[in-house]
Amino acid sequence: MNERIYGPIKQILNGMALLAMLFVLAPLLISLAISLSPGPFATFPPTGITLAWYAKILHSRDFLASLGLSFGLAMVSTFIALLVGVPASLAIVRGRGLPGMALVEALLLSPLLLPVLITGLSLLQFTAWTGISNTLVNMSIGYVVVIIPYIIRTVVTSLKLVNYSLEEAARTLGASALVAFMKVTLIQIAPGIMAGALFAFMISLDNLTISIWFTNAEINPLPIYMMKRMDSVFDPSIAAMSGVMLLVGTCVVLLLERLVGLRRSMGI
Amino acid sequence: MKPHRQPLVYLLMTLPGVLFLLVAFIAPVVVMLSSSFLTQTSQGIDLPITFSNYWRVIDTPLYGHVIWITLRISLYTTLLALFVGFPIAMVIARGGPFYSRLAIIIVVAPLVVSVVIRTYGWSLLLANNKSGVLNWTLAHLGFGPIATHLMYTETAVVLGSLHVFLPMMVLPLSSAIARVNPAVEEAAGTLGANGWRLLWYIMLPLCKPGILAGASVVFSLTAASFVTPAILGGSYALMLGNLVEQQILAVYDWPFGSALAVVMVLLIYGVNGLAGWAFDSKHLPRASRGLALRRAPRLRGSLS
Repeated sequence: MNERIYGPIKQILNGMALLAMLFVLAPLLISLAISLSPGPFATFPPTGITLAWYAKILHSRDFLASLGLSFGLAMVSTFIALLVGVPASLAIVRGRGLPGMALVEALLLSPLLLPVLITGLSLLQFTAWTGISNTLVNMSIGYVVVIIPYIIRTVVTSLKLVNYSLEEAARTLGASALVAFMKVTLIQIAPGIMAGALFAFMISLDNLTISIWFTNAEINPLPIYMMKRMDSVFDPSIAAMSGVMLLVGTCVVLLLERLVGLRRSMGI
Repeated sequence: MKPHRQPLVYLLMTLPGVLFLLVAFIAPVVVMLSSSFLTQTSQGIDLPITFSNYWRVIDTPLYGHVIWITLRISLYTTLLALFVGFPIAMVIARGGPFYSRLAIIIVVAPLVVSVVIRTYGWSLLLANNKSGVLNWTLAHLGFGPIATHLMYTETAVVLGSLHVFLPMMVLPLSSAIARVNPAVEEAAGTLGANGWRLLWYIMLPLCKPGILAGASVVFSLTAASFVTPAILGGSYALMLGNLVEQQILAVYDWPFGSALAVVMVLLIYGVNGLAGWAFDSKHLPRASRGLALRRAPRLRGSLS
């Protein structure tokens, strides 16, 4: 903001932005602080510093099972969504203008039009109706539906930035279609694919609104497990779980910044 | 640039995705939509086709009340998000290199943290006893031992939703601000506008597409939320999403739950359509159109 033009408004806006950032950080920092507190209840202020709660949850079979389940489901769903989404994005960009392609693109992005909670509910009714009763399969299907549009959007965006003449040049110089694509185009869109995959992975990892419909006593993805524990357990172990997930989230953000830059991956 | 050499190949490449979404998304939505017109019996979901589920939504005061709460919470959240988000967006788009980078990291980072975790943080902050962070702070400032009882109120849900959905307001806003030509600000300044006038008469109208996009996303997501009201609202600030979940998983009335879900989606699209019409400058007199002649970008993906 230009000091000369905005004058005192600049300071006011800066101050408000600072307060807003504190608002954003506050609940995250509070749960971090409480996760380090030795007291038996999740209360403020923390009474000291200990890693005992982290040790406790890392030895908890239930927590590790939920964490493992969430990671597994997220990886499988992201992989399937990439397998389906990347070729589709390529076709959308290169085949733009073909009859039916606009409709195909709209269909591939259509899950964005419905709240995820409702997408999950409709899938629950559909799977009950068709008799597909495997919880893990149903959850993964739901995740894939939700993340396909994200993959498509990020990959389409990065494909649009690729200069097609480079691939043509490779073809002219004797590369086969496949080699030209792999060595020229794929390399250029790799950061975009990675960014999309990371986002898709985090969306699946954090997903509660699909899982809630399919969860049962044995199969509890992490967000569901944490929400169930909140009703019955009042010690800082949930704060410690938050701490573990904050660490995962921070790694992902740093990776995003490294790969494509936060600004670009957010479309600013 | 792009040759249409192999149209068939391109269509084949989209085939897996198309088939998958037809089976796993479109078909389920059709099933849900049709079940909302059926009846739950002891044997399962059965004919006849009926509008009674929808009548029940309209006819029962409790459901009307929940719809009203849902609308109110979503509206407050949207307005607050605009107020809180605009300064951050200004910093991201127009701030110095360090501050703007810091701002974007702080805004984006929470996006990868689970809603459950963020909401849990709020429950610690707002707890209704003396060890809640807010109450503890207020007690030390001399406001008495337990100054606030914010947990399980609409205020708590609004604060939690604001926290969860703020990035969805800041990101479109900052890209809208970044697209404003700095020369416009320069010109306004040269012609004597002070900071307030510049913000109010120049920046705000020019950012209208970004504001509308952000507001639409925040409103739609809040109106469809489930986790935040479940944790922070308890039974006092029940929203439509929680009602749907209860009807499906606790009451086991799937047709009625589906009807509620359909009502929720219609409500969201209704409000979005209404707002889009109200803020579209086409039907306003020319003088009040201001500088915002560009229409709001058509929203894709406002609900995820």
